[in-house]
Amino acid sequence: MKKLLAVLLTLMMVLSMSTLAMAEAATEITLWTYPIGGWGNEETVNGIIANFNAVHPEIKVTVQYLDYASGDDQVTTAIEAGTTPDIIMEGPERLVTNWGAAGKMLDVSDLWTEEALADIGATSQAVVAACKTADGKYYEYPLCMTTHCMIIDRAAFEAADAMQYIDEETHTWTTEGFENALRALAAAGNPVTGIVYCGGQGGDQGTRALAMNLYSAKFTNEDHTAYTMNSEAGVKGIQKLADLVTEGVLTADPSIVAGDEIALFCNGTAKMSFCWNASAAASNKTSIAEGIEPFPMAFPSEDGVPELCGGIWGFGLFNNGDDAKAAAAKTFIQFVSDDKTQGPASVYATGFFPVRSSFGDIYAGTEKADNADYAIFMPYLGDYYNVTSGWATQRTEWWNMLQRVFAGGDVTTEVNAYVDASNASITK
Amino acid sequence: MQKTIDISKQLKQTRRRENIAGYLFMAPSLLFFAGFVIFPMGMCLFTSMFDYTMTNFDFVGFSNYYELFRDPTFGKSLINTIIIVVASVPTVCLFSLWVGSIIYKLKDIHTSFFRCIFYLPVVTGSVAVTVVWKWMFNPYYGLLNYVFKGLGIISTNMNWLGNMDTALWCIILILFTTSVGQPIVLYVSALSNVDHSLVEAAEVDGATNMQVFWRIKWPQIMPTTLYILVITTINSFQCFALIQLLTSGGPNYATSTIMYYIYYEAFKLSRYGYGSAMGVILAIIIALFSAVQFRLAKSDQ
Repeated sequence: MKKLLAVLLTLMMVLSMSTLAMAEAATEITLWTYPIGGWGNEETVNGIIANFNAVHPEIKVTVQYLDYASGDDQVTTAIEAGTTPDIIMEGPERLVTNWGAAGKMLDVSDLWTEEALADIGATSQAVVAACKTADGKYYEYPLCMTTHCMIIDRAAFEAADAMQYIDEETHTWTTEGFENALRALAAAGNPVTGIVYCGGQGGDQGTRALAMNLYSAKFTNEDHTAYTMNSEAGVKGIQKLADLVTEGVLTADPSIVAGDEIALFCNGTAKMSFCWNASAAASNKTSIAEGIEPFPMAFPSEDGVPELCGGIWGFGLFNNGDDAKAAAAKTFIQFVSDDKTQGPASVYATGFFPVRSSFGDIYAGTEKADNADYAIFMPYLGDYYNVTSGWATQRTEWWNMLQRVFAGGDVTTEVNAYVDASNASITK
Repeated sequence: MQKTIDISKQLKQTRRRENIAGYLFMAPSLLFFAGFVIFPMGMCLFTSMFDYTMTNFDFVGFSNYYELFRDPTFGKSLINTIIIVVASVPTVCLFSLWVGSIIYKLKDIHTSFFRCIFYLPVVTGSVAVTVVWKWMFNPYYGLLNYVFKGLGIISTNMNWLGNMDTALWCIILILFTTSVGQPIVLYVSALSNVDHSLVEAAEVDGATNMQVFWRIKWPQIMPTTLYILVITTINSFQCFALIQLLTSGGPNYATSTIMYYIYYEAFKLSRYGYGSAMGVILAIIIALFSAVQFRLAKSDQ
């Protein structure tokens, strides 16, 4: 009897202690982040979390770092296995169009307060629109944005007397100027001027922007319900690229991806890169070979006024059915995005620009002051068409189309085939 | 009489205990096999009958299979897969048999050295191997272009992985180099185990080297050959990492295989049902190939 009592007493003590421990335990949330500038760096993210925990010690944040090569697969697997994180950091093309539209994300409309709407809307209404679906549900709360641009080696351009084709003040050029610059570079003995990479795996915004801008084509229709690069302007742009490749003043390469192309620019093989932005400038600063003078440029267009592709990054919440965790996750998002001190610091870590106009110039007087150079492109920010349905299929079809065109395929036929396949995926 | 009955009872009990122990020992691997092989196979077959995406799970019967045979990309991937198998399996087997029959006769230290050399690509991580090959095939500063230009075989740099005519053969070449290690080791071991008294007797009777090989050694290494054929065939059918890391199936599906296309449909487009249907077809094809190989090897024996 005594033994039984002792066992019961011990059990009760253990139970009460574990209940107490559970009551005092922090709410644990998980964050998965793609390498959005410094948000792919453990040290940087740990610093942000430490700042958060100084204010909210009751919430513990565990981070997993994704890369663009396998990150989507990991998320897809997690969705099917029911092991999705609480928070994910990426752009609206994934958070809103893909997972949000599939009903896997939580509506974060409550984060979009009137103040936030006004502040972010003052920067760009396109950002606000990109973060919600047609039914008005917000699946992303944005932190930062940028415009994708290209980069040239000013030294090589000067040596080839090609700077005359560039408006150095506005960092813009015309389609004709671009062609002339390529010819000048080739004539000056540069076997590789620029490379239209089409090996897939991301970075496609560069080749898209190049082909679109040459004759000011629209990538999708206004309401993002159809892909439209088979327009006269779209076909003309791709035909121009094919002609320049045939002429031998531009290279097309189906064996490399954007990362390889950037590396070839940094080591001096190519004289320009079509996949660049403020963050790429910061992360490649030390890998640029001696003698190369990086000079950011907008994509060439017929009238010299480009429409640049934007990048928006922010946070979304997976619908894991746990209200406490969702509330904790929202607290984290609000802290890192809206806090007057942490908000700008979170953006600074990305190397991009704040979506909140109230944050102002976050790079002034810092070691990343060069990033402010890229702010010159913000007025050229075009429509955020990445939210069009069927985006994943479109991306693959895009590089396959380029591969067929550069292998000698008829441009109109191949572009039509690409648009048909992409549009067919919209309904799937 | 009573004693005999007791002994018989004891024997039965011992046998039962041994049986139980045997099953218990097998249980972990059986559970693992059932959980990670049988169950996924069943699930694959099951989901192949559904329009299974991130948002749907609707029964569609054999629609996925019907769509599969009308899908030109699947057709292209199937042809590429068969080219890889047909090109790599015989070359891997013949090359490893040739190398194995040369090095098994060498001194132990030399045999070990060559075994290590040929086995090195097998133990090296596929990502590392791929990165090295990617560098060799690089159209701008790759070693291959440098060597071929030096030898006068080509005049300008070739884009080996970006050319629809050469990309698949580059994949086959890499697959070959990473596949020969294990067969060579197996052949060296099998050839070392051939009954030497038979070989010596045949040589005394005046048999030529060729006759000794075909009449004495070949039948004895046939089980090893069969094993090598089957694993090389399966590995070739399942070639994926190389393609994912090097070409992403391009240019224009020139290197897309069934495995890569399954991955693309299931994980990039979230069409799990369609991907499962392809998985079922791939399993059937591999089973058919293996059955034919077994039958041929049996008739040869």
